[in-house]
Amino acid sequence: MFDFSTITTAIDQFLRDIMPSQAALLVECVLVALCAVLAYVMFAIVMIFMERKVCAAFQCRLGPMRVGPWGLLQVFADVFKMLIKEIISINNSDKVLYNLAPYLVVMSSVLTFCCLPFGEGLLVLDFNIGIFFIMAASSFGVLGILLAGWSSNNKFSMIGAVRSGAQMISYELSIGICLLTIVVMSGTMQISELVEAQRDGWFIFKGHLPAVIAFIIYLIAGNAETNRAPFDLPEAESELTAGFHTEYSGMHFGFFYVAEFMNLFIVAGIASTLFLGGWMPLHISGFDSFNTIMDYIPGVIWFLGKTFFVIWVLMWIRWTFPRLRIDQVVSLEWKYLVPIGLLNLLIMTLCVVMGWIF
Amino acid sequence: MNPTFIDIKEFRQHMENLRRKGMDFLRDLIGMDWGDEGLGAIYALENTATGENIQVAIRCESRDNAHIPTVCDIWSVAELYEREIYDFYGIIFDHHPDMRRLYLRNDWVGHPLRKDYDESEALNPIRMENESPEDVQRPYEIAEEAQLKELAKQTNKIHGDQYIINIGPQHPATHGVLRFRLALDGEEIRKIDIHCGYIHRGIEKMSEKLTYPQILALTDRLDYLSAHQNRHALCMCIEKAIGIEVTERTQYIRTIMDELQRIDSHLLFLSCAAMDLGAITTFIYGFRDREKILDIFEEVTGGRLIQNYNVIGGVQADITPDFAHKVKEYCKYQKGKIKEYNDVFTNNIITQKRMIGVGVLTREDAISYGCTGGSGRASGWACDVRKRHPYALYDKVDFKEIIYNNGDCYDRFLVRIDEIKESIHIIEQLIDNIPEGDYKVKTKPIIRIPEGRYSAAVEGSRGEFGVFIESRGEKSPYRLKFRPMGLPLIAAMHKILKGAKVADLIAIGATLDYVIPDIDR
Amino acid sequence: MDFKKTYIGRVIYSLVSLTTGLKTTLIEFFTPKVTEQYPENRKTQHISERHRAMLYMSLDENGNNKCIACGLCANTCPNGTITIKTKMVTDEETGKSKKVLEEYTYDLGCCMFCQLCVNVCPKDAIAFNNKYENAVFDRSKLVIKLNK
Repeated sequence: MFDFSTITTAIDQFLRDIMPSQAALLVECVLVALCAVLAYVMFAIVMIFMERKVCAAFQCRLGPMRVGPWGLLQVFADVFKMLIKEIISINNSDKVLYNLAPYLVVMSSVLTFCCLPFGEGLLVLDFNIGIFFIMAASSFGVLGILLAGWSSNNKFSMIGAVRSGAQMISYELSIGICLLTIVVMSGTMQISELVEAQRDGWFIFKGHLPAVIAFIIYLIAGNAETNRAPFDLPEAESELTAGFHTEYSGMHFGFFYVAEFMNLFIVAGIASTLFLGGWMPLHISGFDSFNTIMDYIPGVIWFLGKTFFVIWVLMWIRWTFPRLRIDQVVSLEWKYLVPIGLLNLLIMTLCVVMGWIF
Repeated sequence: MNPTFIDIKEFRQHMENLRRKGMDFLRDLIGMDWGDEGLGAIYALENTATGENIQVAIRCESRDNAHIPTVCDIWSVAELYEREIYDFYGIIFDHHPDMRRLYLRNDWVGHPLRKDYDESEALNPIRMENESPEDVQRPYEIAEEAQLKELAKQTNKIHGDQYIINIGPQHPATHGVLRFRLALDGEEIRKIDIHCGYIHRGIEKMSEKLTYPQILALTDRLDYLSAHQNRHALCMCIEKAIGIEVTERTQYIRTIMDELQRIDSHLLFLSCAAMDLGAITTFIYGFRDREKILDIFEEVTGGRLIQNYNVIGGVQADITPDFAHKVKEYCKYQKGKIKEYNDVFTNNIITQKRMIGVGVLTREDAISYGCTGGSGRASGWACDVRKRHPYALYDKVDFKEIIYNNGDCYDRFLVRIDEIKESIHIIEQLIDNIPEGDYKVKTKPIIRIPEGRYSAAVEGSRGEFGVFIESRGEKSPYRLKFRPMGLPLIAAMHKILKGAKVADLIAIGATLDYVIPDIDR
Repeated sequence: MDFKKTYIGRVIYSLVSLTTGLKTTLIEFFTPKVTEQYPENRKTQHISERHRAMLYMSLDENGNNKCIACGLCANTCPNGTITIKTKMVTDEETGKSKKVLEEYTYDLGCCMFCQLCVNVCPKDAIAFNNKYENAVFDRSKLVIKLNK
């Protein structure tokens, strides 16, 4: 398996040779940030196109077909449209917060995005409390949404923001419990080590029943975290027109839009890292020749394949179910997901203690 | 049927007696301007237990200061009907809690359906400024001062320090331009005030100047999802008045088309209800199948939405040769698709959680508010005009009247799903037996209805659609009234909304299934 | 106690109902799509013969029409869509003067396609055709002269 860190080490070595180490670090930071943001935008474009086509297919439609062959250029056209649109300022809105909010949302999702292991050695942030960092970074996105709703001086936005506050803070809990289940199983919080631990089998197979339950709960809670149907209450278009981002236009709206899609990508990416082995190929102990063939497929493809499969499943869910009501969203979390998740954590701990995991 | 005129002094007593005798359903309330004889109103009443129908009229000789006692405490639906009459005729209903205009702006000059209305544009120019919200309602009272104040306090529906949001006039869930002013407490709705009239076109006023065939063209534009039934009602009324019998073939075609239109409407209902609850995929499934009906409509009538098919004495054109085949094919197709809707939406736990027990309309309220159609039948009221007053071929075909008893959103939804099946059943009985014959009876080139009052009612897609004509023997009616199917539904809204949340409002609005052009006319 | 109403029963019943929904949409995911790709499908598109798109006057190869300028259509139109300009022409053989059509104007923008004009025409001179692509940038282009 190709280790991407050889390239990064070489670049690092090269930079240190030609300039002092402080400057090299600075240049590296800029380079990494550039790559991360570029990748972020690229994936957003792919995701938006995918969402349109997948949604269309579930609905017996073809989706965008007019711009470019099979509508391939549709997203570019949309981005262009959004870029040339005016950013309207609202009377009596809190200007600072109003303009800050979209950046907060994007920032939180870029930070989380940086934690995803795309391949061996191909992840930006990797340290011993990686899972912790993911949770912390992803949870301040809700701040942006709350501020957006509060500052735009619109009652619909306000209701949307309050709903999203109630919803996202509740579902953080379930996500935390699910991640904890995996941490208990693997005994580490560092992302690269988590992936490495799945060399002889993905956690969803190794952890059997508790891992599967954790996976399902994670998907549900992750869906709620990204504000997508059936949990799209903050922007429920048939109730609140567009919820918290009603008053945003142009690229400010674009940031919310992109962040929503990228949050979906991140949720799917974390799911595939923690449960489906990240960039690790499918290994079945005992079938050595099969394992060798699987190793020929690059890790990036494994990771993206798994991630996009999870995304597809999430889209499938999104385009099938009706929306819940706010009290049902909260009661689903507190009455069902949290108790089941906690029980599941207990079972997992028991399994680990008794050595019942493979 | 000619109404009995009641003296204004005995009117309240008489109406209360009628209500006590079981006249519990106010079918329609028609404002009238009888010229020199004064202004008045005609009350069409029905006893839901016995099916007995009567009409009561009241006349008020003073034109400038017309007062009639209100009946809105006897039949709740009268609250909006009386506001409509106040709006159009300037008749003040004493003791009415909320005597505001219903359709026109508060600063409108004159009352348009009066015969002495001044139409000049100088009086009512196109106003460019917003209408000031009249939240404090003025009850017209002939009562003591203290009582007046008390009443004003009760009816002061919405006041400044509540969290007020406007659902509409441009809102995805109102399915048109209707406006609800909501006072919220968190997510819960405390009060609701309904504003109609954003697409009021004055069809009843226009009709008084048009000839009968010309009026027909307007009926398709009332409730565009029961275009066939609306037109059927008006044609039936005119045919009854001028005494012509349509051929059996016409009856068959009209019945089949009515039922196709009903399926069309219910499919749209199902799709939109699903979309309002966030299930956009179900919305597309419904529209995909509705398209097939529209194709049949286009083939036969030349129009998809505005079909323009029924004419006085028959239908516009004969059915196409492959009509029967296409309809049968469609019926077969549609039966299979109902399972799909149920799988993906109706039986879904989220849908059930959103709809079961939400927005309950009791049977008493349904009758008192006159909520006919699927919404009434979901509350356990057998209000189907096809059974109550059979017309066309409905007494010859075998079909069940779908009745559910809980009166909540889910029942209202299920009624429509089952009615699709029942409509297919009706069509299947008829489609193979369409008799040969003329599709249209010859009528005189200029149609004049003999003097008198005529009314007819059909079961529209979402309730009883009635037509009332008062004729003075001329080319155009002296007064033409359409009974709206949607107005009683939104009148009942504030009763249904007790303790509901914003999201429930959407579910309730979607399952009540009102169509705005029908409310506004 | 009814199993469906217990905590576990509710969870299982919910999961079953949700899975049924997912199964249905998954089947639709693979079924052929129903989108009509207008305007690419102009050639294969089926428009009903009775479709009312626009009023037209049937003309023979010399540009003659069947209109006798009686004005019934203009009178019966609820919207005043049709205006007819006539002139008196004296027949050279018989010496009788006769009203003939000079200009038949139809305002498509006002028409509500009620078909009253077609129904009332004693000579079947006018009818509706299928030309439905009538979008223009200027309202005045919707006022059409129907006779030659």
